[in-house]
Amino acid sequence: MITDLEQILNLAQQEIQKINTLRELENWKIKYLGRKSDLSLFLKSLKNFPLAERKEKGRRANQIRESLLELLKKKERVLKENSFAFDDFFDITQPGKKIPLSHLHPLTLVLNEIVGIFEKLGFQIIEGPDIETEYYNFDALRIPKDHPARDMWDTFWIQSDNPKERLLLKTHTSPFQIRFMETHQPPFRIIAPGRCFRYEATDVSHEIQFHQVEGLMVSEEVSLANFKFIIEEFLKTFFKKKIEIRFRNSYFPFVSPSLEVDIKIQDKKTKSIYKDKWLEIMGAGMVHPELFEKVNYEKNRWQGFAFGLGVERLAMIKYNINDIRLFFSSDLRFLKQF
Amino acid sequence: MKFSFEWLKSVLKFDLNPKEIQEILTLNLAETFLFKRGNRLILDIELLPDRIGDCSSHLGLAKEIALLKGNKFSWPKVKVKETKVKIEDYLNVKIKTNNCDRYVSRVIFNVKVKESPKWLKERLKDCGLRPINNIVDASNYVMLLTGQPLHVFDFDKIEGKNKKKEIIIRQAENNEKITTLEGKDYLLNEEVMVISSLKDALAIAGIKGGKKAEVDKNTKNIILESAHFEGSAIRKASRLISLKTDASYRFEHNLPLELSDYAIDVLANLIQELAGGEILKGKIDVLKKDAKKEKTLIILEWQKINRFLGVNLNKKEVLKILENLDFQILKKTENYLLVSPNTFREFNYPEEIIGEIARIKGFNNFPSCPPEEILKLPEENENWILKNDLRSWLKGFNLEEVYNYSFISKEEGIFFKEETKRLISLKNPISENFYYLRPTLLFNFLKNVRDNFRFFDKVRLFEIGKIYYFEKKLIVEKEMFAGILAEKEKNKSKDLFYEGKGIIETLFEKFGLLKEGFQIKEIEEERYKSFFKKGLEILDNENNFLGVIGLIENEIKQFYDLKESEIAFWEIDLENLRKIIIKEIEFQPLPLYPAVIRDISFFIKKNVLIDNILFAIQNSGVKYLEDVDLFDIYEKEGEEKSLSFHLIFRSKEKTLTSEEVDQEMEKIYNSLKNIGAKIR
Repeated sequence: MITDLEQILNLAQQEIQKINTLRELENWKIKYLGRKSDLSLFLKSLKNFPLAERKEKGRRANQIRESLLELLKKKERVLKENSFAFDDFFDITQPGKKIPLSHLHPLTLVLNEIVGIFEKLGFQIIEGPDIETEYYNFDALRIPKDHPARDMWDTFWIQSDNPKERLLLKTHTSPFQIRFMETHQPPFRIIAPGRCFRYEATDVSHEIQFHQVEGLMVSEEVSLANFKFIIEEFLKTFFKKKIEIRFRNSYFPFVSPSLEVDIKIQDKKTKSIYKDKWLEIMGAGMVHPELFEKVNYEKNRWQGFAFGLGVERLAMIKYNINDIRLFFSSDLRFLKQF
Repeated sequence: MKFSFEWLKSVLKFDLNPKEIQEILTLNLAETFLFKRGNRLILDIELLPDRIGDCSSHLGLAKEIALLKGNKFSWPKVKVKETKVKIEDYLNVKIKTNNCDRYVSRVIFNVKVKESPKWLKERLKDCGLRPINNIVDASNYVMLLTGQPLHVFDFDKIEGKNKKKEIIIRQAENNEKITTLEGKDYLLNEEVMVISSLKDALAIAGIKGGKKAEVDKNTKNIILESAHFEGSAIRKASRLISLKTDASYRFEHNLPLELSDYAIDVLANLIQELAGGEILKGKIDVLKKDAKKEKTLIILEWQKINRFLGVNLNKKEVLKILENLDFQILKKTENYLLVSPNTFREFNYPEEIIGEIARIKGFNNFPSCPPEEILKLPEENENWILKNDLRSWLKGFNLEEVYNYSFISKEEGIFFKEETKRLISLKNPISENFYYLRPTLLFNFLKNVRDNFRFFDKVRLFEIGKIYYFEKKLIVEKEMFAGILAEKEKNKSKDLFYEGKGIIETLFEKFGLLKEGFQIKEIEEERYKSFFKKGLEILDNENNFLGVIGLIENEIKQFYDLKESEIAFWEIDLENLRKIIIKEIEFQPLPLYPAVIRDISFFIKKNVLIDNILFAIQNSGVKYLEDVDLFDIYEKEGEEKSLSFHLIFRSKEKTLTSEEVDQEMEKIYNSLKNIGAKIR
């Protein structure tokens, strides 16, 4: 609080000169004459001064108040006249010309961010088909027919005349692991984004189609501890906020051990509907050695980790979206927000 | 799966409170929830498929908890008090199918069927089962205790030779009927296995008991069944007859073979305790020949353990965990361990055991370390780069990006008759709205336009996505880049078409494809012909299809309730585009001499193509003509249109004089007059 009366007057005079709009003037009025202005507070505190001083300071304060009111009146008149007085008046408050610029889909934004982080870590981007064979989607990944593990992946089957090979819409991006390893020798690190499909009823958190990003890193040395490091780096970079990370046991036949990675957003300021609870972010694990056998790698030489991230899930948490179905609604009211 | 906390505590002494148990199980086993039934605590564990075989029981879970706490837990030994009467004199069992690995039976005489005691009923209810009578309850109870599904038959209701009863495990005959305990009738076939007497099926093996040999209040003598069925066979059968039970669920997950033998003894004792009776001497234990698998020995190298986990583990600690897991260590050296797998769980690879060690120690207790790998730039993915380049340009063109469904509806498929033969359909569509795979990005776009017209007058969208169709019976999956421009306002069709064409031309230019880089013609591509009332096809110079652009045909618009609006659409084949784009920009030196610009305006018949006019200008024998730029088109009523061009002249060797340019203009005038232009 400024208690020097002359300084208050000085500042008020300086500031009012720079004012160009009525809105600014209103703010000035509140600042210098409002109930919480330094001047008002000073007047209220007068009773604490000895009587003689009180008289003198009180009088000066009231003089200043009068001058400020005078300044206000004058300025108000000037501004009001200005607003219609001049033909060549240049109104800097007029909104700028609208430049039409559109928006990328939130899934594109999130996908690019995920892929971008892994690219910085040296991961190569791989893509693959949506229509898969039963072999790549299941058998090669140690999910045999009539095995209860298949229940975890409800599948859309394709109508086709070929009786030898049953075709389906890939239920996860993990078939990319096999497809890539069949044609490449380690060491490598890849990241493979793709669209996946599940035969299931839709609701706010389930869709018949969604996107995953598969990661796979194989070398002679890459370990569970390395996996933890890379995933932690990724999550910290992606979420930017303070998050807690935990690794939990899970089961996917193509990795051993199998893990689930959970995060918890711990940000007191955030209004996110996702804060303060554990959220499943990805399934992961160390590549099962049988997969290396299936692609004819040298025995007992290679090891590595794999993971699968849910893109919609990450986008929902990032943008605080409550309904997965919005992503495919193509509703411009939704899309124009990104 | 539900577990009674109090029951668990009676099996294993542990010093964890319910919250701590929930936490440790969630992290190291499977997600666990805690709730109360009355004042009794229940753990609900979402067991994962690989652990149902050994953990879906109170003893199994006790072993798991002990393991996680660093201790070894052995299942209590069981001893049965038998009479001198031999079971062989009363029962014969035959396995006549490949789907039953083991079938163990016991016989008890003179039991008294009645209500179960309260403690037993409470435990059953805690785990979600309904008490029936002491015999049935006992078999359910032992299932919850050991994990082995059990069944009890009324001895006297089964046919046999003389006093000797006969039980046969076989596949059902086609159309064989059975009435289950609930009184429901099922029609079976050869895929379903049954437990049978000489005459009828007594139970659907591994799934449900039958009415015929049901234990009722008058039952005196009983046969206990404890079997091991092939998981996949039970799963198939259960799906076939649409009947899932606690028993089938457990069998599906392949229980340990050794369990049947143990569980039946526990059951015999419990029944005797609850219902009295005399347990006949011995068990009938029929084992399929190759049921017992040879156990693989596994070599665990110390160095591999550390390399795999990325941390140096204490050898003693590892040995202790292996011991708690019931592994037998056959050989121990400086470098490796030779272990023989335990009975209750299957491990076939050293990595599986190492993973198990990590799980038991807890993944969160491991360090995270940066990998020591060779620094190498990843190979670039050109398709990915192209898609992102496209997106960043399109954003500037005021087109909103959408992600549509990969499906179209049955109704749409039928409407596009020509398309129907190319459409790929699903064997199991989830609804008629998602029936075929989309053969073009157009159909979903049109739905988007219709939906968004409720709130917007203009809808401008693009999508980069896959389309799917049959071509000569082969499945084609292609990534396309498509766009749609739609406005409610009428008479905008030409504007929209030329804007779309302009977007494509600008994009192509950005990718280094000037006019000479591709060609356009009337649409011939079968897949697109019927979509447009006016449109063109783009080809590369080797006649490969690049894409189409055009105005949507009226009938189609009507189908989507968009009759009143104008719609331009394009679809470009990404892969073919990528093959011809020029990746590197090559700088052209700035011109040394100034350009001379002349304008020319003329009237010409409306049906003379711009392309032909440009051809006439460029092939007039003109020199120094650097560029031709159409800047105005005016169509008045009648047959003619007025066109205006900028003509840009420049020489590489000198500054052109006005006279020199006049001469060249003369050639152009002449050439244009020849095609009927009236110079203004």
